[in-house]
Amino acid sequence: MAKLLQVENLQTQFLTSAGVVRAVDGVSYDVDEGETVALVGESGCGKSVSALSIMRLVAEPAGRIVGGRILFQGRDLLGLSEEEMRDVRGRDIAMVFQEPMTSLNPVLTIGRQLTEGLEIHLGMQIEAARARAVELLGMVGIPDPARRLTQYPHQFSGGMRQRMMVAMALACNPKLILADEPTTALDVTIQAQILELMQDLSRRLGVAMLIITHNLGVVARYADRVNVMYAGRVIERGTAGEIYANPRHPYTLGLLRSVPRLDEPIRAKLDPIEGQPPDLTRLPPGCAFAPRCAYRVDRCAEVPALTAVGAPGHLSACWEAERLAKEVAA
Amino acid sequence: MLQYIFKRVLLMIPTLFGVAIIIFLLLRVVPGDVVEARYMAQGSQFLSQDLMDQERKKLGLDQPLWRQFTSWMGGVLRLDFGLSMWTGSPITEEIKLRFALSLQLAIMATAVATLLAIPLGILSAIKQDTWIDYAVRVFSIAGLAMPSFWLGILMILGMLIIFKWLPPMVYTPFWVNPWDNLAQLIWPALAVGYRYSAVATRMMRSAMLEVLREDYIRTARAKGLWLKLILARHALKNALLPVITVIGLEFAFLLGGLVVTEQVFNLNGLGLLFVEAISHRDYTLTQALVLIVASFFIFVNFATDIAYAWLDPRIRFR
Repeated sequence: MAKLLQVENLQTQFLTSAGVVRAVDGVSYDVDEGETVALVGESGCGKSVSALSIMRLVAEPAGRIVGGRILFQGRDLLGLSEEEMRDVRGRDIAMVFQEPMTSLNPVLTIGRQLTEGLEIHLGMQIEAARARAVELLGMVGIPDPARRLTQYPHQFSGGMRQRMMVAMALACNPKLILADEPTTALDVTIQAQILELMQDLSRRLGVAMLIITHNLGVVARYADRVNVMYAGRVIERGTAGEIYANPRHPYTLGLLRSVPRLDEPIRAKLDPIEGQPPDLTRLPPGCAFAPRCAYRVDRCAEVPALTAVGAPGHLSACWEAERLAKEVAA
Repeated sequence: MLQYIFKRVLLMIPTLFGVAIIIFLLLRVVPGDVVEARYMAQGSQFLSQDLMDQERKKLGLDQPLWRQFTSWMGGVLRLDFGLSMWTGSPITEEIKLRFALSLQLAIMATAVATLLAIPLGILSAIKQDTWIDYAVRVFSIAGLAMPSFWLGILMILGMLIIFKWLPPMVYTPFWVNPWDNLAQLIWPALAVGYRYSAVATRMMRSAMLEVLREDYIRTARAKGLWLKLILARHALKNALLPVITVIGLEFAFLLGGLVVTEQVFNLNGLGLLFVEAISHRDYTLTQALVLIVASFFIFVNFATDIAYAWLDPRIRFR
């Protein structure tokens, strides 16, 4: 499979009064055509910022992409002019945001917000764009789409708005959809519906997806490959199955153990990761997870590189990956 | 929507009735009446009680309060405000021309303020923290700091010294000679409009900055829209809401609140008439003026709310 997106050593920083926040600190990952890749990590680990960096929508002037390359179909997005980048946004790469309540403009109709991308990128006339908008709303499962087009976002429920966001993302037949916590703000029952819908559509239309989430449960069912991020870096990568069955990084292991499970006895204690995520303005030298890590050794003062472990394509940035594997297996 | 408008119009009636009662009572609580005021103005020191009582009887001031009130209200319902207690001429005649002048000045000043505030506010917001932003902010703060009558004096002096020309000092109604009319009124409109643009500019700037940080602006950018389209289609409508409130309130205030500016430009407007009516204790004229200005306020507020509903569907569909 051809590589659609390659993020190489991406570095994005924010200048704040407290100092330079290294939100994304040398991240690399890739997405194949038609593939669904997940970016997992807790809040503040830089996963959303890395997606915004791909779109070059990091809030300036505080936020800056200071290094790395973002190759999309072989073209470095960081080298494009703002005008060229505008053509990429919405047409080649589309985005679905976390908050369906605030991500739609309250004073414009659903139809207006759905057709503007079509008019700009595909040069459609009003009639054609409207017809396509009806088709799109039908595709994401909104009943009575023709009438719905004339309504405003406040007349839609949360789930419907997120369907609308998906329709908006699909409008111009993009190659890649960046979904930033697409279901976090929704009810659990609706979450499953939206994810099913996105998976179904991405397979049917051959669109690749980068799903950004803090929810490992989402990853298991919908992603082909998983990147686990911690403090601005990818610390483990592999197929979803591998990551679940054979985690090779203490942080991933911790994440898996801290998820409550329905098949455990009631009142069984959760096993949280001790300590707090590090302050991104003052990252410790070496492995950023070391202060919280039960497998810490002297070597952790050096930053471990992502290296192959176990199954092909499974990478972990941990000096003690082998010891971890043995203990988990035991 | 129609039901909403109808309800709002109906609500105006009790509001105006309340205003009428309050101004009626307030005027009579203030010491002195028109008869005393007149003799005072003539410089008489010893007044015969009989003479004053006779005068009061002529004006109907000897009647019990409720009767004075009902006869006044009866007139108002027929749109007849009665005679001025001071000059004795019909109030409708006294007010007509001055109302036209004040209304025209208020509209022109508001137009000046709006035309300054909206583009400057937007410019200031999108160029935040650049020299353009600072220049706009200094410009608008200066407008707020300078009283408009003083600015008016500067304008008149400037025109006189530089161009050896003075704007006409006698009011010509617009329908008689639009050119003369505008040549006179454009200057006070600029002076007052500049001052009133200051608050609106700041409001526009901060509303725009706030809206530009909203999630839906990011969504619009992620769709690949260019900046001008994002500003015009996605940001402006949302950012205008608070600005419209400010502009509406200012507009209503301008009708009767330009006492000093009117004097500087030798304009016979409602503001001056208001001050005179009160100092003469001219009950009927003051009451009429208060009712007119209050109705205007209520109407402008109503228009503002309609504009809100037009801009914001969340209000429209409630």
